[in-house]
Amino acid sequence: MVIHTQINLYYFWEKRWFFIAMALGAFMLTLPLPDGLSRDGMIVLTMSVVATILFVTEPVPLPTVALLIVVGQILLLGIDSTKVAKSLMTDSVLFIMGSLMLAVAVVKQKLDKRIAWLIVRFTGTKTSRICFGISVVSGLLASFIGEHTVAAMMLPVGMILISLTSDDPKKVRNLAAVLLFSICYGASVAGIGTPSGGARNAIMIGYWKEFFYDPTDPDSARFLIDYLRWMTFAYPMFLLQLPLVTLVLLFTFRPEYRDLSRAVAKLRTQVREEGPMKPGDWVSLVFFIIILWAWIFLSVDIGMGTVAILGACAFLIAGLVKWEDLNSGVNWGVVLLYAAAISLGVEMKITGAATWVAESFLTLLTPIGADQGIGLWVAVSALTTGVTNTMSNGAAVAVLGPIVLNLASAAGESPIVIGFITAVSSAFAYLTVVGTPACTIVYASGYLKTTDFLTVGWRMVIVSVVVMLAAASFYWPLLET
Amino acid sequence: MRIRPNRAGQPTPAELEELQEWRSRRFRILVCIDGSEESYEGLRFAAQIGHSDDCDIILCYVRPIDQGLRTGGLQVRVARENILEWGLDLPGVRYLKKGFEILIKEEGMARDWNAMTSSRAVWGDPLGDIKTEYRHESGRAIVLKLKVAPDAASGILDQYELGPYNLMILGEPSRWQGELSSFWNAGLVQKVAMLSPCSVMVARPRKNGRGHLICTDGSEQSLDAVRRDAVLAQHCGMPITLFSVAPDMEARPRIEETLAQTKSMLEEMTIPVANTMVGVGDPIGQIVEAGKDYGLIVVSDSGKSRLKRFLVGSVAFGVMGRSETSVLNVR
Repeated sequence: MVIHTQINLYYFWEKRWFFIAMALGAFMLTLPLPDGLSRDGMIVLTMSVVATILFVTEPVPLPTVALLIVVGQILLLGIDSTKVAKSLMTDSVLFIMGSLMLAVAVVKQKLDKRIAWLIVRFTGTKTSRICFGISVVSGLLASFIGEHTVAAMMLPVGMILISLTSDDPKKVRNLAAVLLFSICYGASVAGIGTPSGGARNAIMIGYWKEFFYDPTDPDSARFLIDYLRWMTFAYPMFLLQLPLVTLVLLFTFRPEYRDLSRAVAKLRTQVREEGPMKPGDWVSLVFFIIILWAWIFLSVDIGMGTVAILGACAFLIAGLVKWEDLNSGVNWGVVLLYAAAISLGVEMKITGAATWVAESFLTLLTPIGADQGIGLWVAVSALTTGVTNTMSNGAAVAVLGPIVLNLASAAGESPIVIGFITAVSSAFAYLTVVGTPACTIVYASGYLKTTDFLTVGWRMVIVSVVVMLAAASFYWPLLET
Repeated sequence: MRIRPNRAGQPTPAELEELQEWRSRRFRILVCIDGSEESYEGLRFAAQIGHSDDCDIILCYVRPIDQGLRTGGLQVRVARENILEWGLDLPGVRYLKKGFEILIKEEGMARDWNAMTSSRAVWGDPLGDIKTEYRHESGRAIVLKLKVAPDAASGILDQYELGPYNLMILGEPSRWQGELSSFWNAGLVQKVAMLSPCSVMVARPRKNGRGHLICTDGSEQSLDAVRRDAVLAQHCGMPITLFSVAPDMEARPRIEETLAQTKSMLEEMTIPVANTMVGVGDPIGQIVEAGKDYGLIVVSDSGKSRLKRFLVGSVAFGVMGRSETSVLNVR
């Protein structure tokens, strides 16, 4: 380790953000309480601020932040440790865990070559058509099984098309950008399509239920958003964005090769060597369809998390995936992190800290006329887009969810619409590599530069925001009644 | 001699000691590769310096550890394994292979390399560090090393700890990458240059200039650096120009005299000096300006401790950052 041999100063410099965050936390706790905020509320707010700084700057391994949140709730808020432990596991967290295991299982099935073959069979060899094909297939798959799964699965497809076209990366810079962004943006815009598209969707559904559903009040049942209802809200938006992705990409990067027939021919021979579909492939396909069916029709009664976990069990029982693969492919620290973030989010609501932040934020927005209607929507969307570009989108929704939902109540807006705007905007992290899982995975190919994300990202942000505001203005109000 | 990895892929302590002793007798150059054209420029410098039999060149690429949160909890490893299944190379391996090809082409030693690959899991990543060692009959070695580390700078410094190096070569961040990204990359070069215990070279694309511009302030450490680089320059067949900066016109004669002494010191070592020059004014500005016509500027800050470099910086450090030509900082 470097640290041991370097001067201690270097250690402090490396971890400076940790100490800055802790100092800020200590300082906030000594401040006099502002009007309308309880002592507990202040503590939770402080914990959120410190956690957010640590999320963004990453001075310590991120699961440490999760553990600190748990410890903080017990030591600072004085909540019973068993109660805190219980608050960690919810259906949303089970869903995140299960769907990550499913993601590894699906990638391990090696269906990617067949999918690649299917795409080129439909699209032919023209570059623009192949890109559109890749976006469509990545998008359709990602909307059900999550963007990270699809990015991991499709990345080699993109890379092989690039490397079969030319060995020299400089000659295929733009082609590489178009093909790889087709995968990651295709998957990113799809992640909002269904609840199983991403962790953030499950988190938002969990918050709606936690904050607004009251079993004694039948009227509040509209806050129980099930799989199909989510799809009716978000799926059309995703379909509308798909062709726009290809257009923006082809307009931004003009690929060096208009035709990829050489690469496609080589790809075909590779795929043919695979032979016909094996029984295992069919079984996994059947599992996949059953899981989708269960999400759509059973998740209202048994929960989405249960379905995801059942699916993971099915793959394990059938021997289609080894536990060792699941174990090394899933980052369990992330599950822990989401669990802690949601638990803190719920605590924000209970202590009234969320309401206080929401009301303060609203007073800030009032002078610029953004305290209601489209103004508020744009403000919420901008806030989410800003936060999500600096950390993962799931974490962004977990942190912002309680605040924006309270903001909606305080401003007299529909929490459903505001909730959707937050969940959907969290997918607008096109600008940075770390913004969305699909971008991070595709970046690992080494073909893209960080600046490429900026070059094309801002156009995508504009396109997506326009599509979303149109949906929020004209389409979602129709569904709410 | 060879490293005989035991079951864990790690040499035993005794072997390691023997290895380090053997290594200390060789001139070892660490070249950091990130796939950019600038880093390959550094590699060409290494080839130029290290074409004798007692010189080993180590190419190192550092891959940051995956942060699971960024990929939504699915490890990038899953995608990486999938890429390997398709028979594709990982980016780091791709860059390193390209570097190796450039190196053997520059040296005209295309054949007779024996390859030996070993890997070990680090930071919980089974694909971890991968090392391929190419040995030539003449005893020379080229090592390709793919490292996994929390960030590139600490990976490079960590690599130094593994085996002492005589020189570390870093590529200058390129301009076309944009302000923001070059700021971050410069941060990396700066950090490594600041903390590195051995001499560091920041390689920039070669322009018309040729020869070494060796800067000295007449101090003991500086003269030592002059001697060391003069040997190197002669070894590469590069003309030497000695350069010094006087704070004002009054001090100029004194500086000129020091330079003349330095020149005769080198000539006693049978190393010819092509020219001597004296600048007047701000040392960093003068050196950068004079260096434009040369292939390499040589500076030294061996007299400064790491803490001092960190806190107050130095002329050498300023030159490394602002120069338009490659800079060698001798330590």
